Amino acid sequence: MSSAERVRVRGVSIYRPIIYGNTAVVLTPKEREVLPTPDHTHRWTVAVRSAASAPDSENVGGADDLSYFIKRVTFKLHDTYANPNRNVDKAPFEVSETGWGEFEVQIRINFVAESGEKAITFYHHLKLHPWTQIINGEPEQPPPLEIAAKIGPVHSWQYDEVVFNDPFQTFLNILTAHPPTPLPKAKRRPIPYHTSNPASLEASKGGTPEFTHEMEKEEAERLETARKKIISEQEKWRNILIEKEKELAKLKTQLTDA
Amino acid sequence: MAGPSAADVRSILSLPNLSTPGPSQPRKPPATTERARKPEGISRELYSLIGPSAPTLAAAQLSKPRLKQKPNLGGGGRVKWEWRSFKNGARNDPLRLSHWVKASTDPEAEYKFAVYNVQPNSYTYSQEEYTRWLGDKEWSKEETDYLFDLVRSYDARFYVVADRYEYPESNRTMEDMKERYYSVCRKLVRNRPWAGDDASKANLLASLAFDKEREITRKGYVASLETRTASEIAEEEALYVELRRLEQNERRFKKERDELLRTLLGIESGLPDIMADEESLNATTTVEPKRSRKKGDTDPPVSASTSMNTISLGQPVPRKQSAKSAAYDALHCIHRTEVPQTTTTATKAAHQPVYLRSYKLPTPKSATGPRIAQIMGELGVSHTRLVMPTRENSAQLESLLEAAGALVETKKQVDRIEQEIRIAQERLGKSSEGGDDEAMDVDENDGEGEANEDGRAQSVVSTRSSRPRK
Repeated sequence: MSSAERVRVRGVSIYRPIIYGNTAVVLTPKEREVLPTPDHTHRWTVAVRSAASAPDSENVGGADDLSYFIKRVTFKLHDTYANPNRNVDKAPFEVSETGWGEFEVQIRINFVAESGEKAITFYHHLKLHPWTQIINGEPEQPPPLEIAAKIGPVHSWQYDEVVFNDPFQTFLNILTAHPPTPLPKAKRRPIPYHTSNPASLEASKGGTPEFTHEMEKEEAERLETARKKIISEQEKWRNILIEKEKELAKLKTQLTDA
Repeated sequence: MAGPSAADVRSILSLPNLSTPGPSQPRKPPATTERARKPEGISRELYSLIGPSAPTLAAAQLSKPRLKQKPNLGGGGRVKWEWRSFKNGARNDPLRLSHWVKASTDPEAEYKFAVYNVQPNSYTYSQEEYTRWLGDKEWSKEETDYLFDLVRSYDARFYVVADRYEYPESNRTMEDMKERYYSVCRKLVRNRPWAGDDASKANLLASLAFDKEREITRKGYVASLETRTASEIAEEEALYVELRRLEQNERRFKKERDELLRTLLGIESGLPDIMADEESLNATTTVEPKRSRKKGDTDPPVSASTSMNTISLGQPVPRKQSAKSAAYDALHCIHRTEVPQTTTTATKAAHQPVYLRSYKLPTPKSATGPRIAQIMGELGVSHTRLVMPTRENSAQLESLLEAAGALVETKKQVDRIEQEIRIAQERLGKSSEGGDDEAMDVDENDGEGEANEDGRAQSVVSTRSSRPRK
């Protein structure tokens, strides 16, 4: 790299929307017979993809090929898997396996050399069993396998943004040469379920979900209404406080007078 | 022999033999028939003057004007009025007043002027807020409290407030009070969490603006304007006329000078209206390349026109970019921040490495963390994870957490004050027990609880005042 290219563009922060997570399906008895590990109940795929979904695709996300800024994605599976460190060096960045239990998958993203950035590491809880309603802060017991098999694939995806600060000019050029597909404005398919929005459980049913711009707005509104509630509560308590202070002041004058 | 007939005279004078009276006669009857067809609405005299030449216009103008139907005010102008008492919804005392109303009105209807009894937004502050933001060496907390009480009781009518203002050892002008009042309100609005958007906050702040110096100067001007003598007014007017004359002269002189410069130097004079001409010229030339390329022309004219532009185009280019850049940045997910203009070359250590947005979500302060988490839980909001951790949403979360933190703080203070109140009440109880029979009164009042605060204060005063008599 020449010195001219090693120039950082100051004051610029550029991000790329990604999603990570997994999809899981229940294996049929026939499939299980063929497996070398018959105790495995699910087939799952854990992946890092672009946030927007490709039209007519059965996948969540993945409209864009992320290999222009991702060099390698390492999925660290549970130790019980044979060579648990799975390196994926080209798109699609995903690993498919069978298994019977949920666990934390460690995901590490290495960026292309031009970025001059270190790898980032994060975790995803591999989700095999269907999402259930949260009652009294605890999710309900998931239904048994036979019923889960009928419900269809389980999706667990997290939207996130990879933020690069003051990128090198060359890297910035690479990024701007690949503008990400914008998220669709309105909902066309089910909403990906997220534990932070338990109300989305119903809307998440019925097919392959898709991330939309609407979800962001919806969350902003949820936060805004919560804030308004807190502020009105705050007003109330402030008035109580002021009343109490007056009372205390009165008592104090009584004390000094007495 | 008869005298020469008219025909003879004509023949002598060699005039053409014109129409005899005979043929002229049949002309008349059609005229009379026309008159008979005189349209209605035109007086005969007028018709004989204007004739049938302008019948349509006359008819249009003279037909009866169509007026709006007169409103029927009903009941032949007889309205029954009644003297009724009514309940004013804006009063919180039981006072009943009466007024005259039409008998037809619904006796159960709300008093319609009650809605205009709008209470001005009154501001109060806690001790903690006062010490944090509102301290002022010119004003003590007690005096500020006194001011706010007065403003509240006189609905922010500052002339009344200034009139009634009687605080020991203070001599405040109305401007002093206004300045103090509005500066406190502004600080409260600015520092408290705000429920609405920024624009409404800015609006409110602007409405609370008060510039004391300017107000004093303004009043000084008004006063001096009022106390002018007649001769001063005359002098002022004369000066004004003189000034206008000078201004006009100046303008004319400048115009002539510009014209002269333009004729002498042309473009090089750098005068504004010529620049404008040039801009329009640029506009045409920048369009040109496209057109010529379309036609498949040879290159030279294009390069000539562009090279001509290169210098003069310098100005508009950055403006165009900034207009476009917003869309460009949105497409490429770029966020630009002002780079601090320090010349220190940022070292590698200063570089913030790549991160996932969700890992930089705002977190509550550790001390208030559990209580904030509890509030969030009650609201059904997860503050540790977002569905869509975008920049906007994490900013939103931050303000939410800020508000929650402030709420927790306030609740803590309420707890502390309540504790202090309990201690004070206990001490009050003990100290009065040490006294003589007054203790009974105080205990009774304590039993009445916090709601009847005024009653207690009064009775304590009364017991105290009774002491000297004993």
